[in-house]
Amino acid sequence: MISRDEMLNLANLSKLYLSEDEIEDAMKEMDGMIDFANQIKEMSPNSHETPNINGLSNALRDDEVIESYPQNKILENVNGGKDGYFYIKKYN
Amino acid sequence: MSYDLVVGLETHVELLTKTKIFCGCKNSFGSEPNTNCCPICIGLPGTLPKLNREVVNFAIKAGLALNCKINLNSKMDRKNYVYPDLSKAYQISQFYTPICKNGYVELSSGKRIRIHQIHMEEDAGKLVHKSGDVYVDYNRGGVPLLEIVTEPDISSSEEAREYVEKLQMIMRYIGVSDCKMQEGSMRCDVNVSVKPEGSRVLGTRTEIKNMNSITFMTKAIDYEYKRHVAVIESGEKVVQQTLRYVESTNSTESMRSKEDAQDYRYFGDPDLVEINLDDLYIEQIRNTLPELPTNRFKRYTNKFGIPEKDALLIVKYKNVSDFFEAASAGLKNPKAVSNFIIGQIFRNIETETEREKFEILVSPKQLHELVKLIEDGKINMNLAKKTFSKMLESGKDVTDFISEDDMKGISDNEIEALCREAVSKNEAAAKDYLSGKEKAIKAILGYVMKATKGKGDALKIEKKLVEIINQ
Repeated sequence: MISRDEMLNLANLSKLYLSEDEIEDAMKEMDGMIDFANQIKEMSPNSHETPNINGLSNALRDDEVIESYPQNKILENVNGGKDGYFYIKKYN
Repeated sequence: MSYDLVVGLETHVELLTKTKIFCGCKNSFGSEPNTNCCPICIGLPGTLPKLNREVVNFAIKAGLALNCKINLNSKMDRKNYVYPDLSKAYQISQFYTPICKNGYVELSSGKRIRIHQIHMEEDAGKLVHKSGDVYVDYNRGGVPLLEIVTEPDISSSEEAREYVEKLQMIMRYIGVSDCKMQEGSMRCDVNVSVKPEGSRVLGTRTEIKNMNSITFMTKAIDYEYKRHVAVIESGEKVVQQTLRYVESTNSTESMRSKEDAQDYRYFGDPDLVEINLDDLYIEQIRNTLPELPTNRFKRYTNKFGIPEKDALLIVKYKNVSDFFEAASAGLKNPKAVSNFIIGQIFRNIETETEREKFEILVSPKQLHELVKLIEDGKINMNLAKKTFSKMLESGKDVTDFISEDDMKGISDNEIEALCREAVSKNEAAAKDYLSGKEKAIKAILGYVMKATKGKGDALKIEKKLVEIINQ
């Protein structure tokens, strides 16, 4: 069972704010996810290994410049940004 | 009680590839914000990164130059953290199988600073803070980096300085990075701890992040050493934390608490396949490595008899060292070339940046010709120096300033005649010399040099004068 502190730490790492009632629910959901992950872990002893199932290796690219996107295209999803930048209003 | 200082360094160097690590966007400094970007390097979902072969080659080069073992099998991992400089909330790095392991950098004292590992990773974007708001530029996002991690082998701020300078020099020689700390293409994280003198148990460490100047790094280390000692002496415990160095007060302050290693939830990046290398490939890259600065230094001091201080100054800048190599090739006395570089060229270019660029009007070939004339006894050192000054100003050849006639030099018979004449005309000085005033010979020497119009070899003439006076 995940502890309340662990849950809060996870939320903090993901920059999520959880209200009091959400904490309880999130802990239950997280337990479910951990159980599922443990099930997978039983099948693969080295959990950090993600071997490529196609047996591929060395998919390398030559060091050749491909034209970048125009600045306005890059900033399209953030309403055009500000002065050419992604803009974040004062944060903590 | 006295305490030992223990320092380990993590140094990031940006690689001089044409493109970024996982996409074909330009890797260049100083462009308009967000103009070297594409869906891959701004981390849009559904994009697929593909590793730049040159990054792997550069990592191998760096590993070989730092005496590392190259891992034949290596892969990329994801390091998860949420921060605005990292749009996809994970950095692609190497954690489980870094490309290089177990190397070392040798300091001038002979002490080796062991390299724990070198891994490849992508740089994050750049945050610009303006009145509390944050502006993000992802041009730097995806720029290839090598992170070079030492063992905690450094035991003074001076050793740290030497290590970083050596590293910088080596990276520049092999052409993988320009290591400009002021532009951020080389940055150091410094881990500091202290322990009772001679103890084998390491103390609690603090980490000073993102040092971008060698001078400030040494100051930060010295400050932390004193601070740790003071904390321990007062009976308290050093708190493990991440610090920022504040230049204006020459002190450190705590940064927002960072994630612990397990919080990064590293795992192999499923978007990128393994890198499998073989010995042949690594040998091919080894063959492309130039002679390294440490070797050049040894050759300059041992073989050419150049003083250590001078040799160090030449080796320090690759362009200078390459110039020296080209100018001195085939000469009997390479040391003369180094004297011209340090005595005359460096007098006009004083800053580090200028010396690094080493843009001068004289070509190595032109200096070679000048030194050759000295070696062949056609001109003397005085004349050569004067001529070289003119060459440096104009970029013209030595033959533009010295005529064939001047270069004929003076025969031994002529010198002997001039010397005899000089002694007879300066009898007083000759007597003084005989009575023990050795300096008196200089007056007679001056007379002869004037008569030869500076063409004579002063050492040879002085010897002749002594011979004549003693007869």
